[in-house]
Amino acid sequence: MSTTRIASLLSVGALALASLVSPARAEETVKVGVLHSLSGTMAISETSLRDVLLFTFDEINAKGGVLGKKITPVVVDGASNWPLFAEKAKQLLEQDKVAVTFGCWTSVSRKSVLPVYEKNNGLLFYPVQYEGEEESKNVAYTAEAVNQQATPAVDYLLAQGVKKFYLLGSDYVYPQTTNLVLLEYLLSKGVALENIGGGFRKDASGKIISAGKYTPFGHTDYQQIVAEIKQFSAGGGAAVVSTLNGDTNVPFFKEYAASGLTAESCPVVSFSISEDEFRGLPADKLVGQLGCWTYFQTIKSPANKKFVADFQAWLGKSTVPGIVKDGRVTCSPMVLSYDGVYLWKACVEKAGSFEVDKVRDAWKSGVSFDGPGGKVTTQPNMHLTKNVFIGETKADGQFKILKSFDNVYGEPWLKGKFK
Amino acid sequence: MRKTFSIITAFFCLFAKLGAEEARVSIARAALAKGESAQGVILNELMGRADESILPLLDAWRKDRLYLYEPTGAPAVPVLLEGAKDGKGAQVAVSVATGKAIGLRLVADDLNSVAHSANLRRIMKAVLDLTDLSSANRAKKLGALAAIGQGQQVEKLPALERRLPLETDPAVIKALREALALVRLKSPDVEIRLAALRELESLQSLASTDFIKSLQKDPATLKDVRLADAARTALLAVERHRTVVDFGGTLFRSLSLGSILIIVALGLAITFGLMGVINMAHGEMIAIGAYTTYVVQNVFANGLALSPFGVSINLPGLHTTGWWRESYFLFALPLSFLVAAGAGILLERGVIRFLYRRPLESLLATWGVSLLLQQLLRLTFGANNVQVGSPVYLSGNWIVGDVLLGWNRVFVIGFATLIVVGVWLVLTRTSVGLLIRSVTQNRSMAACMGVRTERVNMLTFALGSGLAGLAGAFLSQIGNVGPSLGQSYVVDSFMVVVVGGVGDLVGTVISGLGIGSFDQFTQQYSPMVAGALANVPFVGGALQNLAQDSAVFGKILVLCVIILFLQWRPSGLFAARTRSLD
Repeated sequence: MSTTRIASLLSVGALALASLVSPARAEETVKVGVLHSLSGTMAISETSLRDVLLFTFDEINAKGGVLGKKITPVVVDGASNWPLFAEKAKQLLEQDKVAVTFGCWTSVSRKSVLPVYEKNNGLLFYPVQYEGEEESKNVAYTAEAVNQQATPAVDYLLAQGVKKFYLLGSDYVYPQTTNLVLLEYLLSKGVALENIGGGFRKDASGKIISAGKYTPFGHTDYQQIVAEIKQFSAGGGAAVVSTLNGDTNVPFFKEYAASGLTAESCPVVSFSISEDEFRGLPADKLVGQLGCWTYFQTIKSPANKKFVADFQAWLGKSTVPGIVKDGRVTCSPMVLSYDGVYLWKACVEKAGSFEVDKVRDAWKSGVSFDGPGGKVTTQPNMHLTKNVFIGETKADGQFKILKSFDNVYGEPWLKGKFK
Repeated sequence: MRKTFSIITAFFCLFAKLGAEEARVSIARAALAKGESAQGVILNELMGRADESILPLLDAWRKDRLYLYEPTGAPAVPVLLEGAKDGKGAQVAVSVATGKAIGLRLVADDLNSVAHSANLRRIMKAVLDLTDLSSANRAKKLGALAAIGQGQQVEKLPALERRLPLETDPAVIKALREALALVRLKSPDVEIRLAALRELESLQSLASTDFIKSLQKDPATLKDVRLADAARTALLAVERHRTVVDFGGTLFRSLSLGSILIIVALGLAITFGLMGVINMAHGEMIAIGAYTTYVVQNVFANGLALSPFGVSINLPGLHTTGWWRESYFLFALPLSFLVAAGAGILLERGVIRFLYRRPLESLLATWGVSLLLQQLLRLTFGANNVQVGSPVYLSGNWIVGDVLLGWNRVFVIGFATLIVVGVWLVLTRTSVGLLIRSVTQNRSMAACMGVRTERVNMLTFALGSGLAGLAGAFLSQIGNVGPSLGQSYVVDSFMVVVVGGVGDLVGTVISGLGIGSFDQFTQQYSPMVAGALANVPFVGGALQNLAQDSAVFGKILVLCVIILFLQWRPSGLFAARTRSLD
């Protein structure tokens, strides 16, 4: 352990020296930023994205790199600290002069680095499902927009005969905005206001400004909320739409199971639980509950089989210090990171340049990549067209795919769209 | 019993004769049919059939064990794989349509299982429901009744009516009457609907709210005064019942939250309350207890491989099964006490004994220890949360008069009572307890009388830490087990002890229950109170929005009330006057 660490430190030092001594070598490489939290609360999720990014760079470098240049990653740690994210972004753009950055998980970290990218005209690839209502020319949103996750899931539930929806989420921008959009969507689909559970907040004029029940991060006592859901679903035909984040899902689902609610009597569709999160969740308590993403590890395509196998093989021989090698899975944010790197490569090659403006033009002209989750295509609004899948949780923490929607156009501006 | 059986058989035989083809043939046809709706139509035809093959076949379908054998150039055959696997993992393939082996051995992984959506599963469930109605399994029977009632499936009315005189279990009879009434709400006959409404009123059926409300919107009801009246009174009765259930539920949840607070704070009531050590590492003692439970669970299963600091430790598993495996929790309880107590002794001997007269330094030192312990847990068990499963006897519930009592919560309440009584007995009825009390009341006097105060300190601290460990074992049943588990409870613990009054266990119990109840009652009733105040200018709207966040609002209010309370009684509910605390 310690000898390998020393060895790796030495090799890093040697590399740094080498790059100082021979500037000619540096020209054959292109610097790329990786901006994720490798410590703090978000580290559990974001470290996986760093891993998959490093894997992708190695894969591309092994095949000759981008425009003949090898990718050199500059990995920085946002440490789950939002102002620090902005500082690190500044460092990447102004000091390291990276051609592109792959990074951020939480919406607040994205909002925090956004001004830095806009000021320096940088380019950030953002891979995690988010609330929309944003479209910056300096961000390539490979993430799922609300209409690529939340509304298809609701469509599926409506088709299954669900008539009542209980909205529950963690208290921050993504669940709040998503639920507002969902409220409008459900009303437009003819669901009565009284059949939308969780409660509403109104402003002075009586307009609804927030829908659903919210709990803070780290909340542990879900007794009362589950009792409320139990009554809400007493007459059947009800479902819970959950945007609960992280480990608050554990007390929620434990309480849910103990109260006798099941996936058959009142299914829960969760937008923040992917295969990677199941490494820390009691999957047996969630069997039959639903998930909606643009990728599942169980997709049976040759591209996906190869991706999963190659990633596992890379992990096996990886020398990144502290990397977790056992029980690793792949999930949607990881695949969207992977797709993002290849889309950037495709855009650069189409533009024939690493310049952000030219790369962006290439993106807007429409570039495609056949990823593990199927074909993804870039759009003029900086989002992606991709396939959406509804899956059902199995006891081993994987999803069984129930339904897929092909080539869904990513639409960030949804508020006020459904009337 | 025999009579029951013969009636059912006769009833099902009647239906079976009506069926055109054998059920297994229909199921095979459904498995091959294109499209979910076509499959649904075929499955629906099975409704009410009493073919014995239905249950195993649909069950296999639902569990992905119904496969399609697709030979090239020939139509696909739905098959089941039976018998033992041979060296290649192949099993005997049995055709669904004929029930006979097709003379091939196939490997499950090479075949596609027949797909099923939630809609199809719902139809399968409905088909099985009728079989479940006469099932010996009470839960199955209740589930089937609820499904029929909520589906308002008129075609199942005769089956329900036949069951009514046969049932003896009061809960089943109630569910049956409820299902009957709900289905009869759909009846075209006004008299039957009226009777159904009166039945729902006398049953005070919570599940019926939505159905009565939709009946109220029915134009036929609007025209008929009697129906409208009956619907209104039925709804009123149900709402009255709901108020009672809500109150009962809130009371139970208060008790359970209070019990958790007591369990969590009891250890601290001893280390901080009696000994006066501001022990910031109390939370980590809780975490140690929770991780002990995790280790015990894995030892009872398949063992555990840990690698703290690069040293690999392999704990062998006992590979127990059945009840032995489930009983791991009973072994984990004393062990988590002992392990945490051991850690407590180390902490006391290593750090705290040097700091008895310096509370501020003990605060800083124990905080440092708490950070160290967290990192130690992280290095040993990883930064991710670990899984602690709930044993069977802790994962069900009782429903008493529509109030839901989760077994894990009942267990927490029972155990809190037990350990409070236990600790009280130890402190007041044993010689060790006498020594503990004497040392905490006046250390130097006790020392003059020949009490070995050093040793008593150590024991007291071990007791407090051990109790924290027990709390950890419990928390593993209701929440996350991770390195920072203790952090989320240490503030609550101090809150309970401070409000209760430093130095008194009774105070801790009362304040734990009080804070728990206050929190739960605010969560339950603040939206209602805010609703009543909605028309008050300026404050009304804001209050309603605050109350909407009742989960958080409860906590905020608790803290505000505690601040005010401590202004009034700075030394807590029960102020113990001892020299050591002055």
